[in-house]
Formats: sequence, C-alpha cells, structure tokens
Amino acid sequence: MEEDIILKVDHVSKSYPGVKALKDISLSIRKGEVRALLGENGAGKSTLIKCIMGVEKAEEGTISINCNGTWKTPQTAIESKACGMHANYQHVNIARELSIAENYFLGRLPTTRFRTVDWGLMNKESQKIIDKFEMGVNPQDKISELPVALQEMVTISKISVNQGIKLVIFDEPTALLENEKVEILYRYIRELKSQGVSIIYISHRLEELMEICDTVTILKDGEYVDTRNIADVDNDTLVSLMVGRKVDDLYNIQHNDYGDELLRVENLNSGKKFGGINFKLHAGQILGFAGLVGSGRSEVMRAIFGVDGLDSGDIYIRDTKVTIKSPQDAIKKGIGFLTEDRRHNGLALSLSVRVNINMYSYEMISKAGFINLAKERARAQEYKTRIGIKTPDIDQYVENLSGGNQQKVVIAKLLCRNPDILIFDEPTVGVDVGAKQEIYKIIEMLARQGKGIILISSYLPEVMGLSDEMIVMSEGKISGVLNKEEIQVTTEEDILRLTSASA
Amino acid sequence: MTMKNQKSGKLNILKRSEFSLILIIAAIFLIASVGTNNFFTSYNLTNILKQCSIIGVISISATLIIITGGIDLSCGAICGMSTLIVAMGQARWGMSIPVAIIASLVISILCGIYNAVIINEFKVPPFIATLGSMTILRGLIKVISNASTIAGLNKAFGEFASESILFIPKLAIIWVAVVVIGFFVLRSTTFGRNLYVLGSGKEVARLCGISIRKVIYMTYGIAGFLCGIAGIMLASRINSAVPTAGNGYEMNAIAATVIGGASLSGAKGSVWGTALGTILMTLIDNAGIQFGVNSFVMEISTGVLITIAVIIDQLKNKKA
Repeated sequence: MEEDIILKVDHVSKSYPGVKALKDISLSIRKGEVRALLGENGAGKSTLIKCIMGVEKAEEGTISINCNGTWKTPQTAIESKACGMHANYQHVNIARELSIAENYFLGRLPTTRFRTVDWGLMNKESQKIIDKFEMGVNPQDKISELPVALQEMVTISKISVNQGIKLVIFDEPTALLENEKVEILYRYIRELKSQGVSIIYISHRLEELMEICDTVTILKDGEYVDTRNIADVDNDTLVSLMVGRKVDDLYNIQHNDYGDELLRVENLNSGKKFGGINFKLHAGQILGFAGLVGSGRSEVMRAIFGVDGLDSGDIYIRDTKVTIKSPQDAIKKGIGFLTEDRRHNGLALSLSVRVNINMYSYEMISKAGFINLAKERARAQEYKTRIGIKTPDIDQYVENLSGGNQQKVVIAKLLCRNPDILIFDEPTVGVDVGAKQEIYKIIEMLARQGKGIILISSYLPEVMGLSDEMIVMSEGKISGVLNKEEIQVTTEEDILRLTSASA
Repeated sequence: MTMKNQKSGKLNILKRSEFSLILIIAAIFLIASVGTNNFFTSYNLTNILKQCSIIGVISISATLIIITGGIDLSCGAICGMSTLIVAMGQARWGMSIPVAIIASLVISILCGIYNAVIINEFKVPPFIATLGSMTILRGLIKVISNASTIAGLNKAFGEFASESILFIPKLAIIWVAVVVIGFFVLRSTTFGRNLYVLGSGKEVARLCGISIRKVIYMTYGIAGFLCGIAGIMLASRINSAVPTAGNGYEMNAIAATVIGGASLSGAKGSVWGTALGTILMTLIDNAGIQFGVNSFVMEISTGVLITIAVIIDQLKNKKA
C-alpha cells in the first residue's frame, strides 16, 4: 500500500504570531484520490496547503512527497513543482496585464530557431487549452479585461500546461464560477483522476464535495477532526463535524409581509449589457437575482448604484423618480451596495476595521469636515458587537481578518448609513458555513427592520433558499420571475434552464 | 478594556516605525554631541532646525500625496518657482512683501491644480504628470529669471529667516505649525480620512461615495500651497532667488516620507513619521559634516539609509 501513497503529512504544526494555525496534523493521500479538505475559515486549510506546497514552512513534523518512488520533502515552491505538485490558490493569482497565452507559458516561453518568442506556437497551444475548457476567448486577450469568472478559469486551466502532474490542489476554485463552468472543472478533475493524479479540493459548497470527491478530511481550529469516505457522510454530518454544532437548515429564515414599495425600475437599458429590466422592491422583501456571471445581474445593480451609466430607463425610489449619476447620488438616496469583489471594491484592506466601518458615512459624524473621533470609535465598537465581527480590537487591519469577518465589516460599513435599500452582490463568496449563517441572520434582521434587500448569488441554493421573490437573468434580459410558492416547487435544474435561456 | 488589550496597545507603540526613528535620532544626536566640538552649539542646532524646516514643509506635501497613492516630482520645482516669484515680485515688479507672498502662493497653488488637472482629467499617472510639470517649471524659472540670481529683496523679508522666538527660529515655527495642522487634518477630518481611503483603491473610494476629483484637486492644491510656503522660506533664508532653488528637493521629500513609514503604494504614512524622517536625514548630513566625512560619502550613506528604511518596512509587513 505504501507505494500507492503520493503525499504524507506527518504531525505537522505551524503557528503565526498569536495563533496556532495547525496543530499536529497527519494525513496521507493515495494516487488518484480526490480528497476534500473541509473546515470553516480559519480552520487551517489554506495554511496546510501552503505548507504542502512549500510556500510556508511547517515548524514541526514533516511533509513528504512520493517523487517517483523516493520520498522528498520540498523546501520551496519550486521544488514541490518539480515533484509534480500544483496549486490553484484562492485569490486569482496571475499576471493581469499579460495575455492568456503568456500566462499559460509564463516562465517557459517557447522560442523559435532565432531565440525569439514563438508566438505562433504559443497561441496555437493556448487555443487548444481554451477550447478544452470551453472558455470562448482569444489567446491574446489580456487577463485584466476578462470577467472574474474567466480569470479564474485561466488559473485553473493553466495547471494543464504542466507535464508530469502528480497532485493538484484546488483552493475554492468555484467561488467565482457559475454552474456551467463548474461542470467543466469537474470534467477536468475526473480526467486528472483517471490519469492517476491526486487532488486536494477545498470548497465551502458541500454539494460539490459530494459530487466530485472520494474522501473528505475535516479540520477545525487548526486540528484534525476526521477523514471519511464521502459515500458514508451527508451534509448534516459534515457540517456538524466542521462547526461542532448542528446547523438545521441554513436557509431557514423568517420572512415578512411586504411594506411599501421602496424601489421600482422601469425599462432599464444599457448598450449590450442589459435591456428591458423592470422590477419592484418592497420594504421587508428579499428579492433574489440569479443568473450566470455576465448575464447582466451585477451590471444592472452597478447601473442603479450609479457606478456605470444607463442608456435609458427610469428609477423610482418611494414612487419618486430619481436621477442617479454617481455612487454619491445613490448613497444619498438611501441605497447601500455590497459589491461582488470585496477585496478590491468593498474594503480598504490596509486600513483599520474602525476606518472601514466608518468610511462610508464620515459626514454623518462630522461637523465642518471635522470627524467626531469618539463617535467614530463608538460606532465601530457598536457595529463590531451588533454584526459579530471577530477581531481583537477595532484598530486591527482589515487584511488580517478572515473572509467572513471582512464581509461583516463591509455590511457594517453599509449599515452605518442606515440605507433603506441594500444590494448584496455575492455576499457569501469565500465565506465559511458558520459565517454564512451569520450573514443570513443579518439579512433576516434587516428585512425584519423593513429594509428592502436585493440578493445576487451564483449559488442557487442560497438565492432560492433566502428569497421572497426571485428574478432570473440571462443574456441581459429577465428570463423568469418566481414568487415564493413558485420557488419552492421549482428545482435547481429548472432555474439553470432559465439562466441559460436565450432571450 | 482588559489588561491584555492595554498591554498589546503599548506594544504597538514600541513597534511603530516612529519609535525606532526616535531612537536612531537620539543615538546620532548623542554620538555627534560627544564626538565633535561644533555639533552641540546653539549656532549649529539652530542651523539644523532651519535646514529641516524648508525640506520639512515640502515633505508634508509629499506625504499627503503619497498617502493617496500618488507621487509629486514637481514639489521642488514649485518651491523654486515660488522662490523666484516672491523675489522678482519685490526686486523687479515693485510689490510689497505681503503682495509678493500672496502672488507666489497663488502661483504655487495653481501649479498644484495644474498637476491635478493632468492627473484627474487626462488620466496621466502622477509620476509622469509631475515629471512633466517639474520640467516645465524648471524651464519657466530659467526663462523668467533669465537664468540669473535675483537679489535686492526687502530687508525685513531677508531678516525673517534669521530671527528666532525663544531661541527657536521662525522658520522652524512655520514647519512645526504645518506638521501640527497636518496631523489634525489627517487624524480628524473627513478630507484626511478620504486620502487614506483613496490610497487603498480608487474603486473603493468611488463606491464609498467619495468624490475622487475633489480629493485629488484639494490634495495637489494644498501640496502646491505648502511648496509655495517652502519657497518663500527659502527665498528669505538665502535672501535672493537662484534659478536652481529647490533642485532635488523632491527626492529628499520623498525619502523623508518613506523613511517616516509611508508606503509608495498608498494608504500608509503619517506626518510625525515624515517629520522624524526629515530630522534624521538632516541630522545625518550635519553630523557627517561635523565629523569631517567626505560629502560624497555622505551621499552614499543617505542612499543606504533610504534603502534600509524601506527594507525594514517590508520585513515588518511580511511578519504581520
């Protein structure tokens, strides 16, 4: 059996200043095994894979890799790559200003006889990968001009250019992908598996693990909990192993009767992005938006919030027609927008929790441009407690918080303004189950307070589970509207059909 | 607040770059005082303060801009232009002292606003925009002054720089005032907070409802104003205007800011740090002269200092 093992993690421990990230972790992975690594944010998954990849050094214990029969302990990322180990990290990590082809061949550009870069060969090979992963883009397209989902696909497909792959680690590969792309990823994972490549797969979406993985290892607070066969466990077991408590029904929130109409949009159009958008949002209502990335759902919200312009169409707030030309206008009219990409748009990562919570609403606690510093602190403290942001103190830098807590800071930031209308675009991306449930509770509380909530999510169970009414978008048009009863009798497959319906 | 929190709060103060700067400054001060005869004299200490003051005011302007994630290569040239206007105003155009000062401040603010226009309206990166304006201003200064020294300033104007209040040079008082005001602006005003938010990312700032245009115009305008003040101080100090006035100040200002803990990628920096950075640089220069170190060697050591400061900062970031 020993020769069948590809990776051995032996009593590994690792600590960062103030936290013990990994405590005595041991596990081994067989050839061709798809192993899920499961745990809440901060459970140690990312640290463990960094240690495996040689990016971080374990303080105690050893990590050995079966490198063609000999056991090796890679000290650096380059050494582990030489052993056939590859990782797809959580945050899209590619050269943004280079083309797709250049990214595929980064560090090993093919050359012609004259020692110049062989662009022809590179583009041809890249096109093959692009076709294989059904990305429908040009090898010469620049990464920064692609939507996030496609950027993620590039990083995933980039792994396939390597030779002699033995182990691939996927850290939340689907966080930014829509269902169709997830299928392509699964296909690739199955292909790798059939070639005897081992996979470590990290995801917060349990359904995915059930579908793609053979075994699952659960970590909790840096400690090893258990390893099970996927066939022997169900969602509830996994969740209780992971959080150490029972999460009955994640999406079981209290719904309210609607109040007054807060927002109405009529016939919104914006070039090729979307057209003919009509909907209404009431006080206390959670209005879900489903659709693939690029279907126009986020674009509609960006236009309503004044980030991007509109070609035509009317927006009414409390039945009064309004013109929104900039985010400032939208904020003044009582709209709060939690953007899809919190790291780049929602948070000032290098500033403190205190500043981040207040930065959306400084003029509310200022007189003649002078901030009331006592109020600033008090407000940060208040929201830290109210939203349950886990941080030792409010002067902590936001970049040091976990994904779930960062997202809570964004929500606190919006709530400081006390907006009537809240747009949540993918509020639980990269957030663990425990924090997800807390965010759902916050949404529930806000709806109960009579706020109107628009919830966009690529994750169908979430948007279907939480919404009072749901709008499905496809290719810039609304392709379906479902009320609460209809949502309950509709399957995910039906919705998927709507999201890919051509208008 | 628990005891534990208070303790970690104290630790933070020790860890801050300001604290290590104070230690280094104190060490150099001690060594130079003990090791040389002429360092710890009222004449020399006053001289150090005067040297600090002019570059110190410009460094504050650089700090504001660097916090927004920008950079200003034209600050030395704006300072030079201000020197020239305040001198020409008095010596050639028959202006009274206040009028000459106001004229030079107005021109300086306009120079800053010109930078803001190029950066904000034409989306030129600050490095290039201010490289352009620096070169334009340098040329303009030579054209206007005919590349010659402007002397013959009012007597009272020239005397200002050599006057002191309670042994503290008036120039230093201006610098301290700028530092204190800068501190309050960054700490307690929405404008100050917006600089940091903008430095964290344009999109972050925009989605927070911050008017990026307003912040950029105000920042570069204020920076121009500060460089103008420094130019007037310089004119008073040398009692004339030379065409090369303020040459290379931009690099000293950027260095002082970076030594003070600011990050050129934005959202990090403080006026205290910058003030300490200015003092450290001036002190090393002065102590070097007192010890009789070759001035070329001094230049090398300044370069090394800047590099070390940034390396320390990088190491700290890595640990965090």
